[in-house]
Amino acid sequence: MRIPFSSLFITSPFEDLQEHAEKVKECSWAFQQAMECYASSRCETFEEHRQEVSRFENEADVIKRRIRGHLPKGVMMPVEKFQLFRYLKEQDSVLDSVKAATNWLSFRPDAGIPQYAEKDFFLLIDAVIEPIEELTVMLSEARIYFKNFSEKQRRKVKEIITNLRQMEHEADKREYSLIKNIFKYEKDPISVMHLVRLAQTIGNIADHAENTADMMRAMLAK
Amino acid sequence: MSPELPVLILGFIIGFYMAWNIGANDVANSMASAVGAKAITLRQAVLIAGILNIVGAVFIGAHVTDTIRKGIVSPEFLNDPHLALIGALAALLSAALWVSFATWKSLPVSTTHSIVGAMVGFGLMAGGFSVVNWGGLFAIVLSWAIFPLFSLAISFFTFKLIVRLILTRSESFERAVTFSPFFIGTAVFVCALSFLLKPPFGNTIAMTTPAALGLSLIFAVAFGFAGKHAIIKRMRSKSSQDAEGIFRHIQIGTSCYVALAQGANNVANAIGPLAVIYFLFKTGTVGATVPVPVFLLLFGGAGIACGIVMGGARVIKTVGEKITTLTNTRGFAVDFSAATTVLVASKMGLPVSTTHAAIGGVMGVGLAGGLEAVNSRIVFQMMLYCVLTLPVAALTCMAIYKILALFI
Repeated sequence: MRIPFSSLFITSPFEDLQEHAEKVKECSWAFQQAMECYASSRCETFEEHRQEVSRFENEADVIKRRIRGHLPKGVMMPVEKFQLFRYLKEQDSVLDSVKAATNWLSFRPDAGIPQYAEKDFFLLIDAVIEPIEELTVMLSEARIYFKNFSEKQRRKVKEIITNLRQMEHEADKREYSLIKNIFKYEKDPISVMHLVRLAQTIGNIADHAENTADMMRAMLAK
Repeated sequence: MSPELPVLILGFIIGFYMAWNIGANDVANSMASAVGAKAITLRQAVLIAGILNIVGAVFIGAHVTDTIRKGIVSPEFLNDPHLALIGALAALLSAALWVSFATWKSLPVSTTHSIVGAMVGFGLMAGGFSVVNWGGLFAIVLSWAIFPLFSLAISFFTFKLIVRLILTRSESFERAVTFSPFFIGTAVFVCALSFLLKPPFGNTIAMTTPAALGLSLIFAVAFGFAGKHAIIKRMRSKSSQDAEGIFRHIQIGTSCYVALAQGANNVANAIGPLAVIYFLFKTGTVGATVPVPVFLLLFGGAGIACGIVMGGARVIKTVGEKITTLTNTRGFAVDFSAATTVLVASKMGLPVSTTHAAIGGVMGVGLAGGLEAVNSRIVFQMMLYCVLTLPVAALTCMAIYKILALFI
């Protein structure tokens, strides 16, 4: 065969982006389990969950490098190459924050989550998991838009982005109230330091999810 | 026994082999998109390509064959009919060898370029520098640079038009139906025009250009609206109604369009030198000018069809599976631009590479942001082999000529 026609078409980076987003989602579920385990008084599997988060993060890194390394010069896509890279970077940062939060917990394996903070803590976790799950939806809807260029579809993706921003705002509120409570009730300085930083790191996850959505918005710009 | 008859027989065999090669490899470049986008099945693709390649070869193909024959090498000035005979055979052989080598090594080489290169070698050996029509050759080489760009421009604007007029709108399905006569009609118009203005068909009916334009327009309008009704009828039973579905039906038409254009353009690659051999054999002299006989065009077309049936199907399938991002609207833009380019070029008597036209079409859609990832760097590779093919085929032809001259 001598078909230059077929070598024109290279593996779509969107395929890999989707796979990366799926990894982020799976990782966030492992993160959720790790958190629940940590908060419960008799948790023995925390380390396993932490390892799992770490493994997902590694796998996602491989995908990230594959995307970056396999877009030749002069590739033509519906979006600019570097826009796509910026998007990927943010999507990957979500994972980095997830991993950072899990690791941060592991530094004080037996401390647990104090009673007064438990409710806010779980609300915060839920508030950051939700936008991560929404990322995969956003990406697959965006891919449909890049296929059919329908204005209706574009509006749909933009609505998802608006939702994601709203979710980040919610997570911010949870983070605020959690930190406020920590300072109010916690007397042990080390615990204060550990919990405050934990709340901030978890909050970062939602921030990066929002940034990812913002980068998607930039890719949608006409 | 005179050497002419064995040479003629050998010429027919190699000519058939060249045609077979075109059918097996080159046809995939344009039919694969329709198969990949599931507009037609593989079986339908083979049938359409087979039949319409023959039709295109016989009814529209003569012009390009003439150019390959007379535009590059003027038979009137050949010194010795016997040597010219050997030269033409050498040209066929060298082109066939180079194409086989390229197929074996998966090099992106065009059959058109190979045959033009080989004909230059033939001219140089059979009659010296003066026999080669350098001006004509320059025009051909120039067209290799211009026509892919032409194709790129057409597909870019076609796809942009589809996006602007149809896809971005909220009622894209209805709009696709509304505009379908326009898209079908344009393709029919170019097709009809090239039929009516081309020898041998155009000569027989001897139609003036305005009359041909008018008749083509009538055809275009008639087919456009008939096509629309056929689509509406077929879509009524379908549950999912989107614009891509409309273009899936239109793509059946463009596949025919592509097959026709391919036959018209590519038949010359197989039977250009064969026509010279036949002409020398028939007249015994090199003075008179006779047109390419229809049966030779038919022979070439049949060879292409055989190649499609025997080898092309597998290649179309493989390529079709790889190019899934080429949806029906994109496939339409690519098919339409490639076929139009090839028909315009063959109308001008310029043998262009159908592969290059198809690649230009894909790049146009890619430039318009219609594809998830297109590697435009392949163009440089293509250009390299384009530049390489001419001298390689010419030199091979000269070497084969020297060897053949020893024996015959």
